[in-house]
Amino acid sequence: MIPVLPGALLLVIKIFFLVGLLLYSIFAAVLVRQEQLMADVLEESFEPILRLLVIGHLVMAIGIFVLAFFFL
Amino acid sequence: MVNSVRSAFAIRKIFFLTHSRLLFAVFYSIFVWMPTIFVSPPKQVTPKTTVKKSSKKSFVASEEPSTPMHPLTAFAVNPHGLRFETQEEEEVVILFLRQHFIVNIPWIFLTIVLLLAPTVIFPKLFSVLSINFSLPAGYFLIGTLFWYLATFGFALASFIGWFFNIYIVTNERVVDIDFFYLLYKKFSEAELSKIQDISYTSGGIFAAIFNYGNVTIETAGEAPNLMFEVIPYPERVVETIRALTEQNEGDAV
Repeated sequence: MIPVLPGALLLVIKIFFLVGLLLYSIFAAVLVRQEQLMADVLEESFEPILRLLVIGHLVMAIGIFVLAFFFL
Repeated sequence: MVNSVRSAFAIRKIFFLTHSRLLFAVFYSIFVWMPTIFVSPPKQVTPKTTVKKSSKKSFVASEEPSTPMHPLTAFAVNPHGLRFETQEEEEVVILFLRQHFIVNIPWIFLTIVLLLAPTVIFPKLFSVLSINFSLPAGYFLIGTLFWYLATFGFALASFIGWFFNIYIVTNERVVDIDFFYLLYKKFSEAELSKIQDISYTSGGIFAAIFNYGNVTIETAGEAPNLMFEVIPYPERVVETIRALTEQNEGDAV
């Protein structure tokens, strides 16, 4: 029989995930802002795709944080 | 005996005469349709960057064809559709440079390892270390999603760091824009008239194979020296900047 992790350890993992995802969402938001600042330096045709990627990354980070809130 | 030999010879002669046209047609068709195996490769024309004076204090690399820009461009001559911060109206971008794409190999390799870790590496590691436990489904789902999100974020941040670290040579100055850890920006420039010496170093097996190196630009006075690190075709960059500075000196005289 495969042992299930004890409740205290699960609580630690839950806090780790929630705090980690919150900090990660902040990092993703900073990345969006930085990309905007960098794009001011260099105007190039590929830049809108890059902006879409960083915004998508931020949306995913917030989405997983919300999921963690409900699932854990 | 003699008769049989003669008859055999006669048969061959008749066969050859009747089929000679057919044989000719077969050989000719083979000759015509035979694929060309040994074709000398087309000469790769590497256009030299020539700096041409159009008017006083103005330079254009007009004879150089414009390099089409794409997301992974690391070396472009006369790039179209490109503007940078503090660029003046009459200022023309002659060279656009990024670090050689080979500098991305380490983080690309690490990203591949991180992508394979949950499905390949972790199960092997757990079985070797005899770690045996089960997580609730929700924890497993969130953990997996978080892992892949962090991997994507790492790759994205690494790519952006490479993408926006650029070196630009215009008809008036040399510009070096660096970003450190995505939070710190360094904008350095040197006017062509203040450039005293240009040199490049290229060492090592990979540098020889992929043709990259470091270009050092020494400037007069208190202006800091510029260093273009791991850029492709360093000799062409040095040639271009040297031609521009010589042209600039000629105009000044």
